[in-house]
Amino acid sequence: MTTPTLFVDKLEKVYEAGSADLAVRAVDGISFTAQKGESLGVIGPSGCGKSTLLNILGCLDRPTAGTYRLDGRDVQDLDDDDLAAIRNKHIGFVFQSFNLLPRMTALENVELPLLYGSVKSSRKLAAEALARVGLADRSKHQPTELSGGQKQRVAIARALVTRPSMLLCDEPTGALDSKTGRDVLDLLLSINAEGTTLVVVTHDLSVARSLRRVIQMRDGRIVADGPAAEVVSAFIASEARAS
Amino acid sequence: MILTEVAKSAWRSLASNRVRTLLTMLGMIIGTGAVVAVLGIGEGARASVETRIRSMGANLLTIRPQSASGSGGVRSGAVKTLTRGDAAALSKLEGVKAVAPENSGSAQLRYREKNKNASVVGVTGAIVDAKSLTLASGIAISDMDDEQRSRIAVLGATVARELYGNASPLGTRLQVNGVAFRVVGVFAEKGSGFQSPDDNVYVPLSTHQKVLFGQDHLSTISIQAESEAASANVKAAAERLLRLRHKLRDDQENDFDVRSQTEMLETMNQVTGTFTALLGSVAAVSLIVGGIGIMNIMLVSVRERTREIGVRMAVGARRVDILLQFLFEAVVVSLAGGALGVGLGYGAAALLASFGQWTTVVPMYALVLALGVSAAVGIVFGVGPARRAAKLDPVVALRFE
Repeated sequence: MTTPTLFVDKLEKVYEAGSADLAVRAVDGISFTAQKGESLGVIGPSGCGKSTLLNILGCLDRPTAGTYRLDGRDVQDLDDDDLAAIRNKHIGFVFQSFNLLPRMTALENVELPLLYGSVKSSRKLAAEALARVGLADRSKHQPTELSGGQKQRVAIARALVTRPSMLLCDEPTGALDSKTGRDVLDLLLSINAEGTTLVVVTHDLSVARSLRRVIQMRDGRIVADGPAAEVVSAFIASEARAS
Repeated sequence: MILTEVAKSAWRSLASNRVRTLLTMLGMIIGTGAVVAVLGIGEGARASVETRIRSMGANLLTIRPQSASGSGGVRSGAVKTLTRGDAAALSKLEGVKAVAPENSGSAQLRYREKNKNASVVGVTGAIVDAKSLTLASGIAISDMDDEQRSRIAVLGATVARELYGNASPLGTRLQVNGVAFRVVGVFAEKGSGFQSPDDNVYVPLSTHQKVLFGQDHLSTISIQAESEAASANVKAAAERLLRLRHKLRDDQENDFDVRSQTEMLETMNQVTGTFTALLGSVAAVSLIVGGIGIMNIMLVSVRERTREIGVRMAVGARRVDILLQFLFEAVVVSLAGGALGVGLGYGAAALLASFGQWTTVVPMYALVLALGVSAAVGIVFGVGPARRAAKLDPVVALRFE
């Protein structure tokens, strides 16, 4: 059996707030694995711990307890510089608000991770990534000169330019209209089809439904984990009962 | 992280806030400009004094009166201990080639409708050799003129130009404090600066003492030794002789001061050096103010770009990359300000040289110092904000609105 891309075991993130009984357990004992090439959605209400989980999976934050292995490597105890290197080489981020750097062209934005990784011929690789998302003709444009969908495509190009094993997306279609959102989602799925593991945190159930597998969270715990269609249908049914 | 990206990102950030960048640099521009200008003036003064003292020759000793109770400062004119008798006695010492007594005083000059206040110096024939003066035209004052108390004058180059323009002063009658003097010669130009002989009018010493000022004492006795080697012996002998003549007891200090040219040079350098250091340190305060301005703007910039920092961290920037980026930006601002300030300082020094009576020489070390200090200011005041940026939590930075 091959090494899973994601291996998470009894992961906890506890925010101390004065005394022990006031502590907030944002992530409270989560375990799951995701194989290479999987597409995984994370759904749940606001405050269920989705964002905290995403930050830990993205190596932006450290768990207070538990094991997190990315591509077979323990990352929960690494120092800041090692985490930066992991983010640079193994993870691509796609944010709801694009987070392109202003006053830099699309190409320069895409090139940035390669520069931090000291990769040679970064210009050429960045141009290739931009071509992959269909924006080769926009390479000299600054973010202010691009539409929302184009900005998100540039952001996706930036995320995949270092050929990471995983794309972490936080509401990737949240700031886009449904047509553009659909196009961006299709792009993400086609990248996933080429072997990159895809993790998408979303409120949008139609987005969740187009993935292969969905995890539903509540109060820092996983309450459902299975094929997307089943979990989403059960979720809709339980929402309907509650109202 | 390659340096070109650091440089490009600094340029983008600075160029996108042109006015702010310029205002931030202004503190550094003014600071380094002031330092460079002050050092230029100080060095110029030092150089002009040095050339003049050197031009007089190494075997020259200068004796000035000095108050016995004085704290070491030379207060010529205030004390009246040197006489022509002293000068005559000194000329008989072994190893002495010539002795040039002089007395100077300020007087009003008048030629036709032109007036000028100048230093009038009473001299004997020995002055030409002792001060290495050369005549541009006419003749110099001789010992015979001194004996006969002649009312003749030889002009310094600046005085001649200011009173006569391009006309020849030879043979004209010049009024000195209302007494008519016949101008018999003009000295060649020696170069501008503090107490330049070009600004003086020379008259026979006896005329100066009896006719113009009614004084018996001297302001200076210059002794020309036969050689540089002899000058140390002559100096010691002159001190012994003068102590004897002035009837000083062993426990009394000298009421005069004998200095060789080297010592004169050292004293003058000390004075100009102290002056330059004083003015320079006042100017340096503005560098600190400039540095605080940079720190202030960098703190604003870090706050404004918190989200950018978060994004950079998310795509793989290490803390040291962020630190370097902001530090580089601060150093660029301070160095650019410093470089512009050096230009400004040069300009100010050149302006002072062309409009004022100053000689200014901006020394090489001033440039290196100004740029070095600018870079140091950038690092010292930039490292705080840069550390603040580097220490940001990426999760918090990414959420920052």
